[in-house]
Amino acid sequence: MNLFRSEEHVTRWLGEREPGATIPVTTLSRLAHEWWGDRLSPEWKPRTRDQNQAILDRLGLTGSFWRLPGSSLTPPGRERA
Amino acid sequence: MDERDLALRRLTYRLFVDRGRAPTAGEVAAEAGSTTADVEAGWRRLHDAHALVLNPATAELRMANPFSAVPTAYRVQAGGRWWYANCAWDAFGVCAALRVDGRIETSCPDCGEPLAVDVRDQRPSDERLLFHCLVPAVQWWDDIVFT
Repeated sequence: MNLFRSEEHVTRWLGEREPGATIPVTTLSRLAHEWWGDRLSPEWKPRTRDQNQAILDRLGLTGSFWRLPGSSLTPPGRERA
Repeated sequence: MDERDLALRRLTYRLFVDRGRAPTAGEVAAEAGSTTADVEAGWRRLHDAHALVLNPATAELRMANPFSAVPTAYRVQAGGRWWYANCAWDAFGVCAALRVDGRIETSCPDCGEPLAVDVRDQRPSDERLLFHCLVPAVQWWDDIVFT
Protein backbone atom coordinates (compact mmCIF):
# COMPACT_ATOMS: atom_id res chain seq x y z
CA MET A 1 0.00 0.00 0.00
CA ASN A 2 2.22 2.71 -1.36
CA LEU A 3 2.23 6.26 -2.68
CA PHE A 4 3.56 6.91 -6.18
CA ARG A 5 4.41 9.99 -8.20
CA SER A 6 2.27 8.97 -11.18
CA GLU A 7 0.65 6.09 -13.04
CA GLU A 8 3.87 5.64 -15.00
CA HIS A 9 5.75 4.97 -11.77
CA VAL A 10 3.10 2.49 -10.62
CA THR A 11 3.32 0.57 -13.89
CA ARG A 12 7.10 0.45 -13.85
CA TRP A 13 7.18 -0.65 -10.21
CA LEU A 14 4.66 -3.42 -10.86
CA GLY A 15 6.72 -4.91 -13.69
CA GLU A 16 5.35 -8.39 -14.30
CA ARG A 17 3.23 -8.41 -11.18
CA GLU A 18 -0.54 -8.48 -11.33
CA PRO A 19 -1.80 -4.92 -10.73
CA GLY A 20 -3.97 -4.24 -7.71
CA ALA A 21 -5.99 -1.03 -7.52
CA THR A 22 -4.83 2.56 -7.99
CA ILE A 23 -6.79 5.44 -6.49
CA PRO A 24 -6.16 9.19 -6.14
CA VAL A 25 -4.44 10.30 -2.95
CA THR A 26 -7.47 12.49 -2.22
CA THR A 27 -9.64 9.37 -2.02
CA LEU A 28 -7.02 7.69 0.14
CA SER A 29 -7.07 10.56 2.60
CA ARG A 30 -10.87 10.43 2.83
CA LEU A 31 -10.71 6.67 3.29
CA ALA A 32 -8.09 6.94 6.02
CA HIS A 33 -10.06 9.55 7.92
CA GLU A 34 -13.23 7.48 7.77
CA TRP A 35 -11.40 4.26 8.61
CA TRP A 36 -9.10 5.42 11.39
CA GLY A 37 -10.81 8.56 12.71
CA ASP A 38 -12.40 6.76 15.66
CA ARG A 39 -9.35 4.68 16.57
CA LEU A 40 -8.42 6.61 19.72
CA SER A 41 -11.97 7.29 20.84
CA PRO A 42 -12.77 5.95 24.33
CA GLU A 43 -16.00 4.64 22.83
CA TRP A 44 -14.23 2.68 20.08
CA LYS A 45 -15.70 -0.71 19.33
CA PRO A 46 -14.70 -3.03 16.52
CA ARG A 47 -16.67 -2.42 13.36
CA THR A 48 -18.42 -5.26 11.61
CA ARG A 49 -17.25 -6.33 8.19
CA ASP A 50 -20.40 -4.83 6.73
CA GLN A 51 -19.64 -1.48 8.38
CA ASN A 52 -16.13 -1.58 6.92
CA GLN A 53 -17.50 -2.55 3.53
CA ALA A 54 -19.95 0.35 3.68
CA ILE A 55 -17.03 2.78 4.13
CA LEU A 56 -15.34 1.42 1.01
CA ASP A 57 -18.60 1.52 -0.92
CA ARG A 58 -19.32 5.13 0.08
CA LEU A 59 -15.99 6.17 -1.42
CA GLY A 60 -16.67 4.34 -4.65
CA LEU A 61 -14.23 1.56 -3.84
CA THR A 62 -16.41 -1.15 -5.28
CA GLY A 63 -15.84 -4.23 -7.37
CA SER A 64 -14.36 -7.56 -6.41
CA PHE A 65 -10.95 -6.10 -5.48
CA TRP A 66 -12.48 -4.14 -2.62
CA ARG A 67 -14.79 -6.88 -1.27
CA LEU A 68 -13.84 -7.80 2.28
CA PRO A 69 -14.03 -11.44 3.30
CA GLY A 70 -17.40 -12.44 4.67
CA SER A 71 -19.14 -9.19 3.75
CA SER A 72 -22.86 -9.71 3.24
CA LEU A 73 -23.48 -6.33 1.67
CA THR A 74 -24.59 -6.39 -1.93
CA PRO A 75 -22.10 -4.50 -4.10
CA PRO A 76 -23.51 -1.15 -5.26
CA GLY A 77 -25.18 -1.44 -8.62
CA ARG A 78 -26.19 -5.00 -7.97
CA GLU A 79 -29.04 -4.35 -5.58
CA ARG A 80 -32.02 -6.56 -6.13
CA ALA A 81 -35.25 -4.87 -7.15
CA MET B 1 -14.51 -8.58 22.24
CA ASP B 2 -15.47 -8.18 25.89
CA GLU B 3 -15.10 -5.08 28.05
CA ARG B 4 -11.89 -6.38 29.61
CA ASP B 5 -10.18 -6.60 26.24
CA LEU B 6 -11.60 -3.26 25.10
CA ALA B 7 -10.11 -1.67 28.23
CA LEU B 8 -6.74 -3.31 27.57
CA ARG B 9 -6.83 -2.04 24.01
CA ARG B 10 -7.71 1.50 25.15
CA LEU B 11 -4.86 1.50 27.64
CA THR B 12 -2.40 0.13 25.09
CA TYR B 13 -3.29 2.82 22.56
CA ARG B 14 -3.22 5.56 25.20
CA LEU B 15 0.27 4.59 26.31
CA PHE B 16 1.42 4.32 22.70
CA VAL B 17 0.22 7.87 21.95
CA ASP B 18 1.38 9.34 25.29
CA ARG B 19 4.89 7.92 24.94
CA GLY B 20 5.26 8.10 21.16
CA ARG B 21 6.28 4.46 20.98
CA ALA B 22 4.85 1.01 21.57
CA PRO B 23 4.58 0.09 25.25
CA THR B 24 5.87 -3.25 26.44
CA ALA B 25 3.53 -5.76 28.03
CA GLY B 26 5.25 -5.06 31.34
CA GLU B 27 4.60 -1.33 31.05
CA VAL B 28 0.93 -1.92 30.27
CA ALA B 29 0.66 -4.38 33.16
CA ALA B 30 2.18 -1.87 35.56
CA GLU B 31 -0.28 0.78 34.44
CA ALA B 32 -3.24 -1.61 34.62
CA GLY B 33 -2.27 -3.21 37.90
CA SER B 34 -2.23 -6.63 36.25
CA THR B 35 0.48 -9.05 35.21
CA THR B 36 2.63 -9.24 32.11
CA ALA B 37 1.14 -12.67 31.38
CA ASP B 38 -2.39 -11.26 31.56
CA VAL B 39 -1.49 -8.44 29.16
CA GLU B 40 0.18 -10.84 26.74
CA ALA B 41 -2.86 -13.13 26.80
CA GLY B 42 -5.14 -10.14 26.19
CA TRP B 43 -2.94 -8.86 23.37
CA ARG B 44 -3.12 -12.32 21.78
CA ARG B 45 -6.94 -12.17 21.84
CA LEU B 46 -6.85 -8.64 20.39
CA HIS B 47 -4.42 -9.83 17.71
CA ASP B 48 -6.77 -12.67 16.79
CA ALA B 49 -9.61 -10.12 16.57
CA HIS B 50 -7.48 -7.87 14.29
CA ALA B 51 -7.56 -5.08 16.89
CA LEU B 52 -3.75 -4.90 16.98
CA VAL B 53 -0.88 -6.93 15.55
CA LEU B 54 1.83 -8.80 17.45
CA ASN B 55 5.21 -9.87 16.19
CA PRO B 56 4.92 -13.45 14.93
CA ALA B 57 7.72 -14.77 17.11
CA THR B 58 7.26 -12.68 20.25
CA ALA B 59 4.58 -11.10 22.37
CA GLU B 60 5.67 -7.60 21.37
CA LEU B 61 3.47 -5.13 19.55
CA ARG B 62 4.11 -4.83 15.82
CA MET B 63 1.19 -2.56 14.95
CA ALA B 64 -1.41 -0.62 16.85
CA ASN B 65 -2.98 0.37 13.57
CA PRO B 66 -2.49 2.87 12.09
CA PHE B 67 0.68 3.26 14.19
CA SER B 68 3.69 1.04 13.59
CA ALA B 69 5.84 -0.10 16.48
CA VAL B 70 8.85 -0.46 14.20
CA PRO B 71 10.48 1.88 11.67
CA THR B 72 8.85 1.84 8.24
CA ALA B 73 9.03 3.76 4.97
CA TYR B 74 6.18 6.02 6.13
CA ARG B 75 7.09 8.71 8.65
CA VAL B 76 4.40 11.06 9.88
CA GLN B 77 4.83 14.29 11.79
CA ALA B 78 1.66 14.93 13.74
CA GLY B 79 0.71 16.19 17.16
CA GLY B 80 4.24 17.40 17.90
CA ARG B 81 5.89 14.03 17.26
CA TRP B 82 7.22 11.82 14.51
CA TRP B 83 5.47 8.48 14.06
CA TYR B 84 5.90 5.47 11.85
CA ALA B 85 2.87 4.25 9.92
CA ASN B 86 2.43 0.79 8.47
CA CYS B 87 1.67 1.96 4.94
CA ALA B 88 0.40 4.98 2.99
CA TRP B 89 -3.17 4.35 4.11
CA ASP B 90 -2.08 4.25 7.73
CA ALA B 91 0.10 7.34 7.29
CA PHE B 92 -3.02 9.40 6.61
CA GLY B 93 -4.63 7.35 9.37
CA VAL B 94 -2.16 8.66 11.95
CA CYS B 95 -3.42 12.20 11.28
CA ALA B 96 -6.98 10.89 11.31
CA ALA B 97 -6.59 9.01 14.60
CA LEU B 98 -4.88 11.93 16.32
CA ARG B 99 -7.37 14.33 14.67
CA VAL B 100 -4.64 16.76 13.70
CA ASP B 101 -2.96 18.04 10.57
CA GLY B 102 0.39 16.53 9.73
CA ARG B 103 3.15 15.80 7.25
CA ILE B 104 3.89 12.47 5.63
CA GLU B 105 7.36 11.67 4.34
CA THR B 106 8.24 8.64 2.25
CA SER B 107 9.74 7.87 -1.14
CA CYS B 108 8.34 6.65 -4.43
CA PRO B 109 8.85 2.84 -4.44
CA ASP B 110 9.66 3.02 -8.16
CA CYS B 111 12.22 5.81 -8.49
CA GLY B 112 13.19 6.32 -4.86
CA GLU B 113 12.66 10.06 -5.01
CA PRO B 114 11.44 11.59 -1.74
CA LEU B 115 7.73 12.28 -1.44
CA ALA B 116 6.32 14.64 1.15
CA VAL B 117 2.70 15.52 1.54
CA ASP B 118 1.09 17.79 4.08
CA VAL B 119 -2.34 16.95 5.44
CA ARG B 120 -4.46 20.00 6.19
CA ASP B 121 -8.10 19.69 7.16
CA GLN B 122 -7.98 16.06 6.01
CA ARG B 123 -6.78 17.00 2.51
CA PRO B 124 -3.39 16.19 0.98
CA SER B 125 -1.32 19.13 -0.25
CA ASP B 126 -0.19 17.30 -3.40
CA GLU B 127 -3.27 15.92 -5.12
CA ARG B 128 -1.31 14.47 -8.04
CA LEU B 129 -0.02 11.51 -6.06
CA LEU B 130 -1.51 8.05 -6.47
CA PHE B 131 -2.08 5.21 -4.04
CA HIS B 132 -1.61 1.65 -5.23
CA CYS B 133 -2.96 -1.27 -3.23
CA LEU B 134 -1.43 -4.52 -4.47
CA VAL B 135 -3.39 -7.01 -2.35
CA PRO B 136 -7.17 -7.52 -2.77
CA ALA B 137 -9.29 -6.76 0.28
CA VAL B 138 -10.24 -10.39 0.73
CA GLN B 139 -6.57 -11.18 1.43
CA TRP B 140 -5.55 -8.17 3.54
CA TRP B 141 -5.39 -10.09 6.80
CA ASP B 142 -3.79 -13.23 5.32
CA ASP B 143 -0.43 -11.49 5.87
CA ILE B 144 -1.07 -8.02 7.26
CA VAL B 145 2.60 -7.07 7.40
CA PHE B 146 3.00 -7.79 3.66
CA THR B 147 -0.30 -6.06 2.90
